[in-house]
Amino acid sequence: MTAHLDSGTNPPAQLPRIGQHDPVAQQVPVLQHGGYDQLDDHELLRLHVAGNPDTFGFLVKRHRDRMWAVAIRTLGEPEEAADALQEAFISAFRRADSFRGDAKVTTWLHRIVVNACLDRIRRRQVRQADPLPEDEDRAAELAGPVEQDAAEVRERRLDVLNALKQINPDQRSALVLVDMEGYSIEEAASILGCAPGTVKSRCARGRARLLPLLRQWQTTRGGDSDLQDKASETAAGIMGTE
Amino acid sequence: MTDSGLPTSEHLEHLETDTIADLLENLLPAPEAHRAREHVKACPDCQLTYDALLQLSEDLADEGRSDIPMPADVAEHLDAVISAEAVRRASTVGVHSLAQIREEPHRHIPKLLGAAAAVVLIAAVGVGVVMATKDRAGENVANTNPTAILPTGVVSLTTAQIAPQVQQTLEGSSGVVLNASANEVSCAKSFAATRPNPEVRLVQPARIDGTRATILGLQGGSPRDIQVFVLTGCDAGGTTGTSIYDTTVTLRNR
Ligand SMILES: [Zn+2]
Repeated sequence: MTAHLDSGTNPPAQLPRIGQHDPVAQQVPVLQHGGYDQLDDHELLRLHVAGNPDTFGFLVKRHRDRMWAVAIRTLGEPEEAADALQEAFISAFRRADSFRGDAKVTTWLHRIVVNACLDRIRRRQVRQADPLPEDEDRAAELAGPVEQDAAEVRERRLDVLNALKQINPDQRSALVLVDMEGYSIEEAASILGCAPGTVKSRCARGRARLLPLLRQWQTTRGGDSDLQDKASETAAGIMGTE
Repeated sequence: MTDSGLPTSEHLEHLETDTIADLLENLLPAPEAHRAREHVKACPDCQLTYDALLQLSEDLADEGRSDIPMPADVAEHLDAVISAEAVRRASTVGVHSLAQIREEPHRHIPKLLGAAAAVVLIAAVGVGVVMATKDRAGENVANTNPTAILPTGVVSLTTAQIAPQVQQTLEGSSGVVLNASANEVSCAKSFAATRPNPEVRLVQPARIDGTRATILGLQGGSPRDIQVFVLTGCDAGGTTGTSIYDTTVTLRNR
């Protein structure tokens, strides 16, 4: 798309072509395409608080894939993740004025998303003991558009998502925070509202549960499928029961 | 490695994966930790598990660094919800002041589908009018049916949202969508008359990146192509529109 200035009283012989650059367009202040691209997160958020109707949406677009990754890993279910993200972003939209300028906007957003996900987990735990139904078609779609990533990246991503889905949500959220998102044990403890020791323990047990589920993924890179099978059998044997 | 994966007499009893994972997190009491460490050193199977657990954390960290593209339908919906929220904010307090909005007691978070519907509503508030295709030939269709023109909501969009907005509005209709006041429509039509193909499909009042403008959609070369212009000067009684932005949208159906 190209910003294009022309006069309504003096029609050009041809329709303007997309991609055609008109130097006058550079002088149009508000409609320069992608003008918000130049602004950093802080500036976008500041404009949002000041009443700009568009900058928050732009911020969301900029970070939605990151936040989607957090939500889908933590919640496992796309519907849940979509709901949680929607809640999180609306909440962020409304309390943007409470954002402290010295933090990173992504850190702030991330925290809101994580909390929205954890809220859903808690509500879900209150509501039901049954695991949610699997949805294989949807799962494949979750790995992202086919053309966007190499097949092995998609496969690996799906393996991790599927494995995460199979472990208990408390262990999963601790693992996502600590191992995947890189929060310290202390930070994770404060987010999760539990003792650091509990976080450590959930992480440890979560890893032990994930190991047989992802063992194949780990050894596949070695390329020996025989070994792979044995490894997962062994792991399963060692695992025993809960 | 043992074939069965079961404990062998050779190493008395293998450690459970839980124990090894606890060992790695320093969760075991000192004597137990010592025994476990000695076992891992002496037992290839448990060493393998130990290494695999370490590797697992690294692999998870690796994977955690990569984003996951939000599925298109979820992204679209989220955009719609955010836009609706922006419109809601603008209409609640005229303009801005988040602090004021936060004090408003009965705000609600739109539910998934409800919000989408709300945005469609905003896109076509009062649904100006959707006229049958056959009527489109009539040049002054809006004037022959004055009730068809409703002064409606001004859609707030970024430049990037213009094309999707036009697509969304026109894909839901087979006719002409006129969401603006009679004056704004007639101003847009004067502009259209200067184009090679003046057939109007859409006139939508909008606020683009904060600037009041009029989105004009003209029938393009093929039935599915819409030539889109963003005009300034057609609101507030203006009669001469100036295009400040243009693009082409291809409708997915019809
Ligand atoms: Zn052993």
